[in-house]
Amino acid sequence: MPFASIDELESALAGASYLPDRGLSTALYLSLKLEKPLLLEGEAGVGKTEAAKAIAQALGARVIRLQCYEGLDVAHAVYEWNYARQLLHIRAAQEGTVDESELFGPEFLIRRPLLEAVEAEEPVVLLIDEVDRADEEFEAFLLEVLSDFQITIPELGTIEAKQRPYVILTSNRTRELHDALKRRCLFHWIGHPSLEREIEIVKLRVPGVPERLAAEAAAFVAELRLLDLQKPPGLAETIDWAQALTALGQQELDVGNVETTLGSVLKYHEDLLSVRDETLAGLVANARAR
Amino acid sequence: MPVPANAVVKHIVTFGRVLREAGLEVGPGRVSDALKGLDAVELARQDDVYWTLRQTLVSRREDVEAFDRAFHAWFLGAAVQPPAAPKPPPSGVPRRKGAPPCPGPETDGGDTRLGTWSEDELLRTKDFAAMTPEEFARARKLIQAIAVARPQRRTRRLRPDSKGGALDVRGLVRASLATGGDPVERAFRSRKSAPRKLVLILDVSGSMEAYARALLLYLHAARGSGRGVETFAFGTRLTRLTPELGARNPETAFEAAAARVQDWSGGTRIGASLKAYNDEWGRRALTRGAVVVILSDGCERGDAELAGREMERLARQAFAVVWVNPLKGHAEYEPLAGGMRAALPYVDRFLAGHDVASLESLGSVLGGIERRHAA
Repeated sequence: MPFASIDELESALAGASYLPDRGLSTALYLSLKLEKPLLLEGEAGVGKTEAAKAIAQALGARVIRLQCYEGLDVAHAVYEWNYARQLLHIRAAQEGTVDESELFGPEFLIRRPLLEAVEAEEPVVLLIDEVDRADEEFEAFLLEVLSDFQITIPELGTIEAKQRPYVILTSNRTRELHDALKRRCLFHWIGHPSLEREIEIVKLRVPGVPERLAAEAAAFVAELRLLDLQKPPGLAETIDWAQALTALGQQELDVGNVETTLGSVLKYHEDLLSVRDETLAGLVANARAR
Repeated sequence: MPVPANAVVKHIVTFGRVLREAGLEVGPGRVSDALKGLDAVELARQDDVYWTLRQTLVSRREDVEAFDRAFHAWFLGAAVQPPAAPKPPPSGVPRRKGAPPCPGPETDGGDTRLGTWSEDELLRTKDFAAMTPEEFARARKLIQAIAVARPQRRTRRLRPDSKGGALDVRGLVRASLATGGDPVERAFRSRKSAPRKLVLILDVSGSMEAYARALLLYLHAARGSGRGVETFAFGTRLTRLTPELGARNPETAFEAAAARVQDWSGGTRIGASLKAYNDEWGRRALTRGAVVVILSDGCERGDAELAGREMERLARQAFAVVWVNPLKGHAEYEPLAGGMRAALPYVDRFLAGHDVASLESLGSVLGGIERRHAA
């Protein structure tokens, strides 16, 4: 455990260009300290995946990412045999007979994220992204891996982790996760950052962004979140937008540059239609007045 | 640490009990995590203590509010606001009392005295609204027994199948060992199928009063058909009922669900309720790939245009949308109600749901539904 206090962890994360609020840094600190996986939930674009990458950088660890999806199975999450190589190997042996144990040896194994994390010699952060998208059967399997960090391959035997990977799970809450899985984890809900913090984050993440533009863009997005939109923009959208405006050489917001770049903030056609003309002019005026 | 350890332990254990009373699931494992966590942070910093307790004791976003209330009351001495008492569930028989001006069913109170078998047969086609308490009690059993068929989707998972289309390469490699690498024996696999997600949204407003109880029982039967079923009720606001209807015993489930719904037999705001569903659940991709069933008479007190817009949003994400309208069971019914007219263009199947038989056939329609039916 390289961090003696929450403050120390916060400054390490700031070094990795990530500014968490106190709640998130406490969550990261506790999950390291108690050696428990951390389950992060929150709206899309609030920085769940980024948090895992930042803590990895702060720890000097490698990120191993498992992106979950419906139908994810062992062959794509844990391991698979390299059949093409196996067949070639049998062919190459031609005359001599091939022993089955030779054919199902480590050199024919394709390692997928979970096995990679268990086998890793150096410290790793295992990021299990959007776990709510995987099937419930897979969740049960995951639970097994997360409780004893060992994986059994019938042909090779049981592989135990040399050191416990640090695990972060993210979920968009498309469905409720199983209680047993939640019991294993610390839980943190990430909300939208405060305006001041969002401005700080934009300045940190968008090199060369004019001070005024950063403040106005963050204020504009904060106002958008109060509107009744299908997909309120997250922090990721604020950063994208500030990047776009900076690339266009803008110094501050005006109706013209907002109109041309709003597509990087609002991703639904209906949302774009509802923020137009007077609404848009009003929002720009509000953002500039701050 | 200045605080004696024993005092902290006692404090937190009691706080755990307070949370349990507030409805959170707090087991001994969580309490022990909380204590370990507090050991690792500055007890003098109130926000660190707050976050430590919240992250170790809470595991659902929905529980955060209850936790905050308990935390403030327990540690900061704020007055506890008792949660509003839920409205007691309507009891007794469904009655058509105070129904709004809406095309309504003809009720025939015909009294029949026949043997059990044919009584059940008659009951199956009797309008829920016209049933006597005794008849409804018997109809309940019929509804509970309805098997809800679920449409299937293909998964990415493969299972051995000699008629399958995908080669089982792992098996092939093994078999090739004996033949020097020649794949003489071939094994095949095919995709497994799994039930599609099913979302049921029930209108429990005043105009649906005669049907809401029967349909709620149907929701319970559907909930029991396996994984991936979500259930909601709405009048003027949307309530998720999935946890309540998960109880095996229909009586328990029914009471729990009815107690949860705050606006039973009140007004209707279909558009606003669908919007709440789309905003909260659709955005989390619950609708994607799902069959969505709306059970409502379509009598909108609010903005019919909003209902149309939200139906369009729903239809764009769902695999198929089914609308069950009890009023459709009557020959003279025409979808004139504002909400219904606005919604129809986005409905794949438009069905009746006024008696046991129509609910039974709903089950088989769901089993065979395909994408983009014309209503």
